[in-house]
Amino acid sequence: MLKVRIIPILTFNGFGLVKTKKFSNPRMVGNPVQAAKVYNSRGVDELVFVDIFASRQNRKINLKLVGDVIKECYMPVGIGGGIASISDIKDLLKIGADKVVIKTKALTDVNFIKEAVGFFGSQCITISVDAIKKEGRYMIHNTLGLSIGFDEFIKKMEECEVGEFVLNSVDNDGMMSGFDIELIEYVSENTKIPIIAAGGGGELGHYSDLFTKTSIGAVGSASIFHFTQFTPHDIKMELASKGFPVRI
Amino acid sequence: MVAIIDYGMGNVASVQKAIRFLKIDCCITSDFSVIEGSTHIILPGVGAFYQGMKNLKERGLIELLSNEVLRKKKKFMGICLGMQLLAEKGFESCESDGLGWVKGEVVRLDPKSKIIPHMGWNNIEVRNDTFFKGIPNNDFYFIHSYHFVPESPDIIAATVNYELEYVASIQHDNIFATQFHPEKSQNSGLAVLKSFLTHA
Repeated sequence: MLKVRIIPILTFNGFGLVKTKKFSNPRMVGNPVQAAKVYNSRGVDELVFVDIFASRQNRKINLKLVGDVIKECYMPVGIGGGIASISDIKDLLKIGADKVVIKTKALTDVNFIKEAVGFFGSQCITISVDAIKKEGRYMIHNTLGLSIGFDEFIKKMEECEVGEFVLNSVDNDGMMSGFDIELIEYVSENTKIPIIAAGGGGELGHYSDLFTKTSIGAVGSASIFHFTQFTPHDIKMELASKGFPVRI
Repeated sequence: MVAIIDYGMGNVASVQKAIRFLKIDCCITSDFSVIEGSTHIILPGVGAFYQGMKNLKERGLIELLSNEVLRKKKKFMGICLGMQLLAEKGFESCESDGLGWVKGEVVRLDPKSKIIPHMGWNNIEVRNDTFFKGIPNNDFYFIHSYHFVPESPDIIAATVNYELEYVASIQHDNIFATQFHPEKSQNSGLAVLKSFLTHA
């Protein structure tokens, strides 16, 4: 039976790890290579590592740093931040990334996503879907000033046959008060693409709640690992006690 | 020396990293003399079947590898796409011929498996434990949308359940292959690689 995945999502600013609240107020939380080493030794299911400022600051991801992170990992690793060309993806795969996580370029250039899937295969291309609620409706959060409808974006990405979505709730990001179940359920019922749900995990009960109320297969988290004593293993033990399949 | 075949299909660096972790000598190569001089051949790969065969052909590797594996009976391991390419035919992108070393076809996962690709950690059922002895647990990392359907069930070394039962590993003579990624499966994966590379 396929296990539910618990995935630490490490966000960084080009050199250090940071954690945001509602996608703002980045707070320094440590050293990326050290964190990767710890998560590897704890046997986490997968790791996602994203430079959340690369696109905004119009620069490329720091390949040296990312390479040092990947060297510590004997599990699948997804890397994101400022990916805008086929050669950007090649650079990341060459240093050992398994998947790339794309956001900004997906908002502005659907054909690029199609091309990337054709070139590297669906399994390689993960799309970050950042949902923000505005006047009761979900929109795609972005810093480009674009108004992008949620359903329309999901549908476009599905047509490109992308391999996975990282579904972020901007409103719940860093708040540690539970997941946006309504959002996650809505997307999982309307797509056949695997989803990593993120944004809001703060205590163990939030995770059993998520897997009880939705049918998704993976959760991404950061704050709970940075700011509480709980580890991915604790979350798995909690899920196992509720009967969910986990890899221990 | 273990030859990890470089044919432009995906993440070969992680296979090398895993084998180096085991302190076993290896290199990423498409050089004929290096491959001929190797003790083991590993064909990794992610991506589409059609593109994989095209890349092998363009590098002149098909004849060379066939000679090493089928005639010289060199120990061979295929991983993911590297397992699928062993089949006679694949249907990803378009219908195309595979290496044909193992009778069978590679077809898309059944729609009954609701979420495609099959991605994540899943436990395997071992049928032939030659290379699965002493693994710490049965969970391995899978990521694929197509699967291998061998003509003979006798060569199935392990299966995996994802709504339906699929082939997770095959073994026949000197040929071993896994649909999952041992290089991404932490301790269990390292154990399988070690078992294959140090098996007498």
